[in-house]
Amino acid sequence: MTRLKTRWVIFGGLFLMITLSYLLNVRFESVASPEVQKSYTYIEDLPEGSVIMVSFDHEASSLPEIQPLALVVLRHAFKNNLKIIGVSLFAEGTAIGYRLLSQTASEFDKRYGTDYVFLGFKPQQISAILGMGESIRHVFPEDYLGTPTDEIPVMHGIVNYDQVEMVVSITDGALTVHWIEYVGSQYHQQVMAALTAAMITTYDPYLASGQLFSVVGGLKGAAEYENLLGQPGGGNRGMLAQTSAHLYVIVLIIIGNILYFRDRKRGKE
Amino acid sequence: MDIGLIIAGILTLAIYTFLYKDNPIYKAAESLLIGLSIGYALVIYWQTTLVDRLFAPLFWHGELAMIIPLVLGLLMFTRFSNRLSWLSRIPIALMIGAGAGVAIPAMLYARTLKQMSASVMPLVDGGGFNVEALVVIVGLLTTLAYFYFSREHKGAMGVAAKVGTYFLMIFFGATFGYTVMSRMSTFIGRIDFLLTDFLRVLA
Amino acid sequence: MQQRLPIAVCFIAGVLMFLQYFSPHPVARAVFVTINDYWQIIFAFTLLVGIAAFVKTNLKQISRGKDTPYRLIGLAGLVLMPVLALIGGIKIDSPFQWAFENMLAPMQATVFSLLAFFVASASFRGFRARNAQAVILLAAALVVLIGRVPITEMISETFPKITFWVQNYPSMAARRGILIGIGLGSMTTALRVILGIERTYLRGE
Repeated sequence: MTRLKTRWVIFGGLFLMITLSYLLNVRFESVASPEVQKSYTYIEDLPEGSVIMVSFDHEASSLPEIQPLALVVLRHAFKNNLKIIGVSLFAEGTAIGYRLLSQTASEFDKRYGTDYVFLGFKPQQISAILGMGESIRHVFPEDYLGTPTDEIPVMHGIVNYDQVEMVVSITDGALTVHWIEYVGSQYHQQVMAALTAAMITTYDPYLASGQLFSVVGGLKGAAEYENLLGQPGGGNRGMLAQTSAHLYVIVLIIIGNILYFRDRKRGKE
Repeated sequence: MDIGLIIAGILTLAIYTFLYKDNPIYKAAESLLIGLSIGYALVIYWQTTLVDRLFAPLFWHGELAMIIPLVLGLLMFTRFSNRLSWLSRIPIALMIGAGAGVAIPAMLYARTLKQMSASVMPLVDGGGFNVEALVVIVGLLTTLAYFYFSREHKGAMGVAAKVGTYFLMIFFGATFGYTVMSRMSTFIGRIDFLLTDFLRVLA
Repeated sequence: MQQRLPIAVCFIAGVLMFLQYFSPHPVARAVFVTINDYWQIIFAFTLLVGIAAFVKTNLKQISRGKDTPYRLIGLAGLVLMPVLALIGGIKIDSPFQWAFENMLAPMQATVFSLLAFFVASASFRGFRARNAQAVILLAAALVVLIGRVPITEMISETFPKITFWVQNYPSMAARRGILIGIGLGSMTTALRVILGIERTYLRGE
C-alpha cells in the first residue's frame, strides 16, 4: 500500500470510528478517580458564600476538552452557592471564561456582581499572579466590562488571596505551575487544577508533594465529575467516542508493530 | 440556522481540507485565523491593561508616576530604528531582571526543596515495606544521574543512567498515552459541533 | 552605556524582586508592587511592537506581490476585531464576542484537532518496539490508553489501578527528576542574568 493510501485509510478510519461512536449515543458510567473525588468533596464541603477564584488559563484551541471541565466545576460551585471571582491569564481564555461564567450563572439564576464577577485579563502571568497576592483590586481596578472593582458587591471584603478559599486553574498548558510555584510558595494559597489530559503527567509531582491540591483531568475527568454531580454533559457524551479512539490507536500500534517485525524478519532472510 | 453557526461550520470544514493537502481554502482560513487572533489580542491587551492600568491612572486620575512605565513601554518601539534600538534593551532588561528575581525563591522552594522533601518517604511504613517509596527514590536518583553530563556515564554511573532512561521511557509513554487522549478529545469536540450544531444530525 | 545601562537595570530589578520575598516591610511591598506594575505594562507594549512588526512585514511582502491575497486576509482579520470592539464593545452579546465565538475559537479548535489524525498516523508509523526502551515506552502508553477508558473500568478495576500506579510512581519519579533539574538550572540562569553574566537578552535588535 502506498504511503498516501495508508494515510487516507488511517484518517478515514479515525473519522468513521468517532462519528459512528457519536451516532450510537451510548452512555458509560465513569467511576470517579481519587483526584476527581477529592476535588468534588472539597467544593461540596465549602460553606455557602465561600469565595473561590476561577482562572481561565487556556487557549481557544483546547476548548472542546476544556469546556466540559470548566462547565462542571462552575456548575458545582454555583449549585452550592459559592461566590466566584473569574479571571483570565491568557488572552483567549478571557472571552471563553466570560461566556462560560455567564452561561452557567444564568442556569442557576446567579446575578453578576452579587454572586460572581469576571475581572478579565491581565498579561504577564507571573506578574499578575504575584500582584493579586498583594491586592486583587490593584491588579484589577475595573472588571472586564469596565465597572470599578470597588463598586462590585462580591468584591467587598476581598483584598487578596487570604479571603479566597481556593484558586481553580482551568488550563491546557503549564500556567498552573506558576500558580503553584509563585502563589503557593509566597502566599500559601491552595490551588486546584482542571486541565487537559496531555498535561496530567506534568503536574503529577506537584500532586504527589501536596503543592497542588487536586486535579480534574481531561474529558474522562469531566465525565467522572459530571457523574458525581448528577449532571451528565459533554464529558459523558464523548466517552464512547473516546473509548473507540483509544482502541483504534491501540490497534494501529499493534498492526504497525506486526508489519515492522514481519519486514525485519524478511530483511534478515 | 444561526448565521454564526453556519460560518463556524464552514470555517471548520475549510481547516479540515488540510487533511487532503495544503490548499488555497485552508491557507485563506489560516490567514484569517492569524489576523483575527492578533486583532483579538490587541483589543484585550488594550482594554484590560493599557487603558485600565496605564492611561486611566495617568490621564484620568492624575497619577503622574505612571509616566515612567509609559516611557519605558514606548522605548520598546525604538527596536524599529537602527540607531536607537539599544534603548529597547532597558525595558527588556527590567522585565528579564524582575522575572529572574522572583524566579529564584520560587524555583528554590517550590521546584527543588519541596520536591526533594516529598521524595524522602520512609521505606518501611506501618510494618510493611513501602515499594512505592523505593520506586520513587530510585526513579528520581537515576533520572538525575542520566541528566548529569559532567561525568561520563560509565560504571555505576552508567548503570544508574541506564535505569534512569527506563524511568524516563515510562514517563514519556504515559505522557504519550495522555496526549493521544487529549488530542482525540479535541477532535471529538469538533465532531460534536459538526454533528449536533452544524449538520443537526444529532439532537 | 548601551550595554551597561540595561545590565544595571536588570541587576537592580532582579535584586529588588528577589529581596522582596523575604520582607513584609511596607517599603519592600511598595517597591515590589511598583516593579510588578511596570513589568505588566511593558509586557503589553511588547504586543503592540509585535503587531507593528506583523503589519510592517505583511505590507512589505504585499508590495513585492508575495502571497498577496492571504496577507490581505490576515490584515483584514487584524483590523476587523478592533473595529467590532469599537462598534459594539466587548459584552456577551457584542459583535466582538460573536466574532470570537463563531470565527476565531472554532478555527483554533479545529487546527488543534488536526493533531488527532497525525497522532493516529504517528502511532502506526513510528511506534515500533525496536529495543528495550521502546518496549517500555510502548507498554506505558498502552497502560494509559487501556486504563483510562470507561469500558475497561467496567471489565475490571485492576486496569485503572495499574494505570494510576504507573502514573503516580515511576512516571512521576522521572518527571520529578526533570523538574528538579530544570529548577536548579533555572535558578542558576536567573542568578547569571541578574549578575550580568548572561546577556543574551541584550542581542537581537
